[in-house]
Amino acid sequence: MSAARVQGALRAASVYAALSISSALILTPLAWLVCASLKRNEDFFNSLFLPAGDGLLGVAWNRLTLHHFYRLFAELGIGRALLNSVFLSSITALLATLFAAMGGYALARLRFRGRRQIDWLVLAVIVIPPPLLLAPTFQLLFQLHLLDTMAGLILPACAPAFGVYLFRQAALGSIPGELLEAARLDGCGEVRTFFAIGLPLVMPMAAAFLLITFLGMWNNYIGPQVVLQSPQRFPLAVAVAQLRGVYYQDYGLLMAGTLVSIAPVLLLFLILQRDFVSGLTSGAVKG
Amino acid sequence: MEEPNPKQRATRHEAAPARRFVGPVVILVLAFASAVVYAAWPVRRPPGFHVWTFARLHHQIYVPIAEQWNLTHTPKVNLTLLSLPALEQRMLSAFLARTTSAELIEVERRAAARAFVGPLDAVGFVDLTDRIRAEKLDINPASFSPWTARGRIFGLPHDVHPVMLGYRADLVEAAGIDVSRIETWDDFFNVLRPLMDERDEEGLPKHYLLNFWDTPVHGEVVELLILQAGGALFDERGQPTLDRATNAHVLATLVSWRVGPRRVVADAPYFSASGNKLLLEGRVVASFVPDWMCNIWRFEIPQLAGKVKLMPLPAWARGGRRTSVWGGTMLGISRSATDIDGLWTFAKRLYLSRDAAHELYTRGDIITPVRSFWDDPIYDKPDPFFSGQAKGRAYIDLASQVPIRSNSPYGTLAMTEVQNALIALVAYAQRSKRYAADELTGEAARLLGLAQARVAARVARNVFLAAEPLSADVRESTP
Amino acid sequence: MRAAPGVSNSRAAWLLLAPFLVIFAVFYAYPLVRSVLLAFQQTFGPGSSRFVGLGNFRFLLSDSLFWTALWNTIVFTCGSVFIQLPLALGLALLLNRPRVRGRALFRTILFAPALVGVVFVAMMFGVIFEKRTGLLNLFLHQMFGWNLDFPWLETYVMPALILAALWQYVGFNMVYFLAALQNVPAELLEAARIDGAGSWKRFLHVVLPAIRPVGAFVVLLSIIGSFQLFELPYIMLNSTAGAENRGLTVVMYLYQTGFQIGDLGYASTIAWVLAILLIGCAAAMRALWTTEAES
Repeated sequence: MSAARVQGALRAASVYAALSISSALILTPLAWLVCASLKRNEDFFNSLFLPAGDGLLGVAWNRLTLHHFYRLFAELGIGRALLNSVFLSSITALLATLFAAMGGYALARLRFRGRRQIDWLVLAVIVIPPPLLLAPTFQLLFQLHLLDTMAGLILPACAPAFGVYLFRQAALGSIPGELLEAARLDGCGEVRTFFAIGLPLVMPMAAAFLLITFLGMWNNYIGPQVVLQSPQRFPLAVAVAQLRGVYYQDYGLLMAGTLVSIAPVLLLFLILQRDFVSGLTSGAVKG
Repeated sequence: MEEPNPKQRATRHEAAPARRFVGPVVILVLAFASAVVYAAWPVRRPPGFHVWTFARLHHQIYVPIAEQWNLTHTPKVNLTLLSLPALEQRMLSAFLARTTSAELIEVERRAAARAFVGPLDAVGFVDLTDRIRAEKLDINPASFSPWTARGRIFGLPHDVHPVMLGYRADLVEAAGIDVSRIETWDDFFNVLRPLMDERDEEGLPKHYLLNFWDTPVHGEVVELLILQAGGALFDERGQPTLDRATNAHVLATLVSWRVGPRRVVADAPYFSASGNKLLLEGRVVASFVPDWMCNIWRFEIPQLAGKVKLMPLPAWARGGRRTSVWGGTMLGISRSATDIDGLWTFAKRLYLSRDAAHELYTRGDIITPVRSFWDDPIYDKPDPFFSGQAKGRAYIDLASQVPIRSNSPYGTLAMTEVQNALIALVAYAQRSKRYAADELTGEAARLLGLAQARVAARVARNVFLAAEPLSADVRESTP
Repeated sequence: MRAAPGVSNSRAAWLLLAPFLVIFAVFYAYPLVRSVLLAFQQTFGPGSSRFVGLGNFRFLLSDSLFWTALWNTIVFTCGSVFIQLPLALGLALLLNRPRVRGRALFRTILFAPALVGVVFVAMMFGVIFEKRTGLLNLFLHQMFGWNLDFPWLETYVMPALILAALWQYVGFNMVYFLAALQNVPAELLEAARIDGAGSWKRFLHVVLPAIRPVGAFVVLLSIIGSFQLFELPYIMLNSTAGAENRGLTVVMYLYQTGFQIGDLGYASTIAWVLAILLIGCAAAMRALWTTEAES
């Protein structure tokens, strides 16, 4: 083998090594999480991952338990929290995406007075940091009697300026003006044109934005924590966080709750990741 | 970028038609399904009273009482055990947002005080002053202080929580030491000093005399010692008084115990496995034991049984206070509740009934604040864990000396400032090699002065407290 | 509603924009105005409020808790930008090499933590970072004889937070860099190689300038996100700010002030200071970037 080939092979090996080590480091906490949720509390600190024993591969498989999951669903009502999370996230995702698509399309493909001002407004709003709105929104929801309601959480999330911007870019890029002209000449109303032609053409962006919004609401903690009072309305983020005690922690229960909270989204997105990633990067790379 | 002709673009998108719809369809299905289930499974508050508590012990005592009540009364009682942070969070949230939480909330001292930071009409608890005064029961006056704001009482007191020193009687008596001669802290350290002569392999003392350190775990001990010495962090009007001379004296003394070659204290952290182990090993001879700590020792360190005894705290000056106070819980009725009379009746069962008081001591070692019940013979029963001492009576005898606890919402802030001052003072002592209390008082006073300024600035800017006439002496408000 | 080509169709446009604009007006614009008013008030919950003029701002200047929070937040932001982003770029460069097999798999694995909510990351790492019994100390102790009692959650909260945030977002940022790297014109790289430039020179003079726009975007995003750090330390430290307030951040202080003490007014004051800092940062970055691009 020539020196260059050896060098090349070494270089490739080190690349793979670096990537593998990084991947292992990233995966380790997740693997630990799964193990932790299956261990009994007595065994929790006896081993790093799975309890040692006489079973296959030196693991005491018989000491694993599903008890924590049982407790979560049967005694602690995590099922309800799961439902709340799915409900909140999917409804918010649908409404936010729809409104953003409509707005972005209008800004991109329709001509009207005030368009430039709205354009500018959308960009300006992106700069507002959410914590600024936390206190006054709480006050507003209180006055509207929307505290402790799902609507109080969903409505404020349905006007995503960043979404409008993304859809505007997508509409500019994916919807050929000629197609719209053709539709107009055929006598199609503008709104119908949007739903019939415009929306399907920005569907990749819609798919990505749906997932982004879904994820955002699923993992949202501070919003539900502040707005919701009744424990039956808590989504997973709040319900699981409240499982912690002060002097005593039920580690197995906590980790099982965490696993239940992240498994659905991880699964969903591993299947749909291409859309998600493309949506994320389109704003930065093309825009 | 050159625009490809529309037909090309359209066909390119047609090429992957199904794939781009998968995500949206999934979300659509989830939305629809969850909406249906959500509508069919409405959030319904179980009817009846909701009672929240945060201590497993209390929950265990209340369950039979609640069951009894539910047999003969409506509305029914729903008892819920929450973790303390969760309970605090939900309670505060509900008070601020003026939504309903639980009707009866059992809450610990620090959290309760937060309810008092706003205007009086926004306090989330019902004013119980008149109802309590109408009761014929004789309740320990000092027990009301943390739940009283602007002269009005907002909660039923749960406890008295006098503090004694729990010490290793086996070690002390083996050395032939007689603790009954101890009256002051100086006496304490002088009398017990021989126990520090036993050394380990490194030549350091095997036993230190007192469990104390400058870490946050011992923060409440600092406060209880300040109160014992006659100091205070707040006056009766709720104004901060961190820079009192007594406070500085206490801090300086504590640091003199902690630093230098004549150190007499060591760290056996409370509520931790490592701390319990150290107690068993005798690393510290004496530890601070309020009545509820007896219960923790009994269950967490059963191997101490028969080896420990209790003695009143050594006083700061001859003839001074022999006890202090640590912790506190109250039961409050939520202002948003409707059936206040029914709730009051149930609350009295939980807190002001002889049976509950009896259970509180037998299961939790806690002394009831209702003086009328102190004639229960259970308090005179010798306790084998504490080498046969009638510890119940011992605590009760100290009850009249228990100091007043402040109700200030800024209590936690003040304690943190004092804790930081203590840590700074320790560093100062180690840097300047000043180990005696009188050498440190000056610096202690300086540090506390700075802390006082910071706390006072915060208290002063609270417009709600300033707007209302501050209460008269808290002691006057108790029956 | 049909319009001839070239004629404006306002009605349709406003109809399509209506849902967004209405919700925006109610839940963005109105609260934004209210937050300005709130900054001059003191409240106890949303039900009681009093006007205090400049009192909040005056207090902020001497409020040691706020300055501690600000300092902690700045330290965290620097840690995130200067440690995490170079690592993300490095990983992207590794993944971008030609003939890397399993690229998609690596990318998926490295990106996955970004999907885990901050709350859940905090719950996991709150246990992983524990003294004596936590995964990290145990692992490091077995491997390198690391101090088993290393107080990640007490004295070394900041490194712990930076590590946890790194775990969560390094893959996320890597994906951005990867997309940018894949858009670097191959001809430029080829030309540089022909000119005899080594890989490091190629990186400095061709790759870096080409990915600068995305890099700037990622840095800005990172700064904005880091400045708003709250849930990670709050949950990791069990709803406290940690020993000596080492875990206190600006948004945590805002939250405690507004929703635990109840003073929404002072919370708004803090929020405005944060907003101005962030907008200033974004503007500064933009200015720096555009001038550099022009030069």
